[in-house]
Amino acid sequence: MARRVRGRLWLGRALTGAAFGLCAGAVAAGALWWLRHGELRPFAAGLGLLGALAASVVAMRKRWSDEHVALYLDEKLGSNEQIVTALGLRKESSEAAVHLRQSAVAALGRSGAKLRGPKVLDAPQLLGPVGAAAIVWLSLAPLPPAPPLARAPGVERVQRGNVKGLELIEALRDQKGRSPEDERRLRALADEAKKLRGELAQGMEKREALSRMAKLRDSIAELRSELGKEQNRQGLEAAIAALNEHPESRKAARALGDGDITAFDQEMQRLANQAEKQARESAKHALEEAERAAREKGAPGLADALKEQRDGFDKRSAEADALRELGRALAGKLDPEALEDLKEFGASGDPKAARRLAEAMGKALSKLSEEERKRLAEQLQKQLQQSPGGAPSPMTQQELEDMARRLASPEGQKELEEQLREMANPEPSREAQRDGALGEAERGLSEAERGLGMVPMPMPGSPGEAPGKSSGQGQPGGKDPGGPGSHHDSGSGDHAGQSQAVAAPELRAKANVQRSGVGPMHAATLGRAPARPGDTANQRGTGSLGSVAPGEIGAVEQSEVPEEYREHVGRYFEP
Amino acid sequence: MSESFQSRLAAAKKASEQLLEAVGTVIVGQHEVVQQVLWGLIAGGHVLLEGNPGLGKTLLVRTLSSCLDLRFSRIQFTPDLMPSDITGTNVLVMGEGGSAGGRFELHRGPIFGQVVLADEINRATPKTQSALLEAMQEHSVTIAGVRHTLEEPFFVLATENPIEMEGTYPLPEAQLDRFLLKVLVESPGDDDFAQILRRTTGAPAPTPARVLGQTDVLGLRALCREVEVAEPVLRYAARLVGASDPGSPAAPELVRRSVRFGAGVRGGQSLVLAGKAIALLEGRAQVSFDDIKRAAPPVLRHRILRSFEGEADGVTTDRVVAELLGSVERLPANVAHAAAAS
Repeated sequence: MARRVRGRLWLGRALTGAAFGLCAGAVAAGALWWLRHGELRPFAAGLGLLGALAASVVAMRKRWSDEHVALYLDEKLGSNEQIVTALGLRKESSEAAVHLRQSAVAALGRSGAKLRGPKVLDAPQLLGPVGAAAIVWLSLAPLPPAPPLARAPGVERVQRGNVKGLELIEALRDQKGRSPEDERRLRALADEAKKLRGELAQGMEKREALSRMAKLRDSIAELRSELGKEQNRQGLEAAIAALNEHPESRKAARALGDGDITAFDQEMQRLANQAEKQARESAKHALEEAERAAREKGAPGLADALKEQRDGFDKRSAEADALRELGRALAGKLDPEALEDLKEFGASGDPKAARRLAEAMGKALSKLSEEERKRLAEQLQKQLQQSPGGAPSPMTQQELEDMARRLASPEGQKELEEQLREMANPEPSREAQRDGALGEAERGLSEAERGLGMVPMPMPGSPGEAPGKSSGQGQPGGKDPGGPGSHHDSGSGDHAGQSQAVAAPELRAKANVQRSGVGPMHAATLGRAPARPGDTANQRGTGSLGSVAPGEIGAVEQSEVPEEYREHVGRYFEP
Repeated sequence: MSESFQSRLAAAKKASEQLLEAVGTVIVGQHEVVQQVLWGLIAGGHVLLEGNPGLGKTLLVRTLSSCLDLRFSRIQFTPDLMPSDITGTNVLVMGEGGSAGGRFELHRGPIFGQVVLADEINRATPKTQSALLEAMQEHSVTIAGVRHTLEEPFFVLATENPIEMEGTYPLPEAQLDRFLLKVLVESPGDDDFAQILRRTTGAPAPTPARVLGQTDVLGLRALCREVEVAEPVLRYAARLVGASDPGSPAAPELVRRSVRFGAGVRGGQSLVLAGKAIALLEGRAQVSFDDIKRAAPPVLRHRILRSFEGEADGVTTDRVVAELLGSVERLPANVAHAAAAS
């Protein structure tokens, strides 16, 4: 009887385990179906067998003791614990023990045959057939179609017939370089841009196009920052120090320290425009010293650029003198604004004032009558005669005579007008032209990247595209029509108006550094990116270690240098 | 040998049935009360009957003693009853004519009976009540330094009115514990009441026949001790008693809240003995779970001391026992589950 009870218990547990195993097998078969491992699906039924085995082991471990079986039998037979009591007395020989054993045997013989034992089938076992059916179905079901492979970002093809901005890079082909090697590199950039334009017209992967644009950007940045490279560093700093020695050329030193060749050229133009001879000589002397220092410190490229400035300095001074002399001669024919510009030009040599003055004088010359023209020529001759000891200004006597002669004839007047127009737009130095062209190329590259749907990184020096607009109610008394960013407002109205959002591609934060604003801090900062008071704080490096600009920050962090080596590499780039 | 034991069991069952029948000729209804008194008699314990006046407690005891060929004595407990009134005393007996040479002679008290009725036991002072202690526990009394053994079987049947009534002295816990059972005598039902009226207002009822003698009772007591108890049944009885302790982890919430002291070891012993008596009276040689369950209320109700909170909530000890019986499982969980499922 006990064997029957235990056997039925074991069978029930084994069946329950098999049912749960089959359910687990169904889940496994479903997973295999989903993962498209079709050949493995039928083996999931083995989990049912495993479940039965596991349940058998559990049933063996939880096998009922004799006492439990006896209690079960007493409970089912209603024998008032006769069997369990007799079990406890199986070794006793008392009258009561013998009687109880006989009674228990009789009770088991009487009712035990009818007793089936513990229930074998249970509700959870219904899961067995369900699980088996699910395994069969999942084993026969066709596998789901494979999902489409995820595309890597940027693999989509782009096709652009005309990518705006690349033409600015192609324009570098005609740009004169510092050397034949420099010109070859500029042409290579232009060729690459042209080739990229052609491939984009035919269609190419977007990531490939962006990668090549990034390489172009690296190359342009490297070309722009050549003067600040490691091998030129000492020469650059020596030249800056030499310029800083003279108060007149400190602004120029600052521009050179920033690597802003265009600003440097404009400042030299301003210095050459100055009326005061001593100041011009001082600036010229500073240039000579800077050139010599750069050459001595092993920066021949920089020295050549400074030499070019020095060579053109006299020519610029002569042109400024001629402009001033002619302006004085034409003083009665100029409008008040032009007279103001003449005054400002004389005082500061501001190239902007020079440009406006030249334009105004060209217009005034074109309106002169024959008689007025002759009178002007005579006046110039008189001025020449009143200074028999030499020219009253840095202009040579020959130049004044030449100007008076040209004014005497209508053709000469036309020629002079043409010359004045040229003076209104003076040609920058070759170095400034190169820098400006590279800047334009960078801007064009950003535009091309935007055309491909990429947000370009803000680059140092790229100007805002939209002018600032002020809706304030003040009456500006200044002459400037309002440029990008700001203008001097001398009006007296209140300033309660609110400026509209500037639709510029980037906004810059000014660093509020409490330092002397005298000049750049080359060799004075400990960080990796030289900075100066008032400079922008968000200049970001291009990530190209070969072309780290002096104003860059985060160049090493953005590069492909492994993280564990960045500190070491960063130390190498410390100024 | 086995047949002999079986015949003794059958004889015991027959004797108990005869006794019940004989008592039934006088006592109307109260079958459960009479049976419980019989459990106490056979198990060798003493029984405390509690009930309101006029419910036939005294009559029941007197009838039972009439059915037993045993010496009966009655003690009416009153507040001025002295211990020596129970145990007896030495009396100086003078010589003839009042001459000297008198001697002390023991005048035995009513405690020297075999069936002692302690009527309204809670009307006597505790001092007097405690006079019963030695006799009930040791089956002997000590008078003037001399120990006197009481004749077996010695069976005390005490009655008491509910302790809330005036002029009563609650029995001390130590004395309560010496009673095997505390039997509650309930009011009879309408039919039984009518039958009582018929019997008590007509011709005097015949005296019931003597069914059992001293030897028979002692034989029943000996046979009761031979009844076997299985280990699981003993563990069940132990779990029941243990769960009545409010400090036990197995104690149900009602016990933890309403009980100050649970039944002790003597309660467990009494529970098993009462179970054996029940089994014997049913002609069985083994105690079942149901025997323990039947014995539990009269055995445990006077051994459970309620807490102040329990008394304030009106929780009776019978309710506590019912809670214990409901919460303590008889069978192991797996066996109970399998038995219920199949």
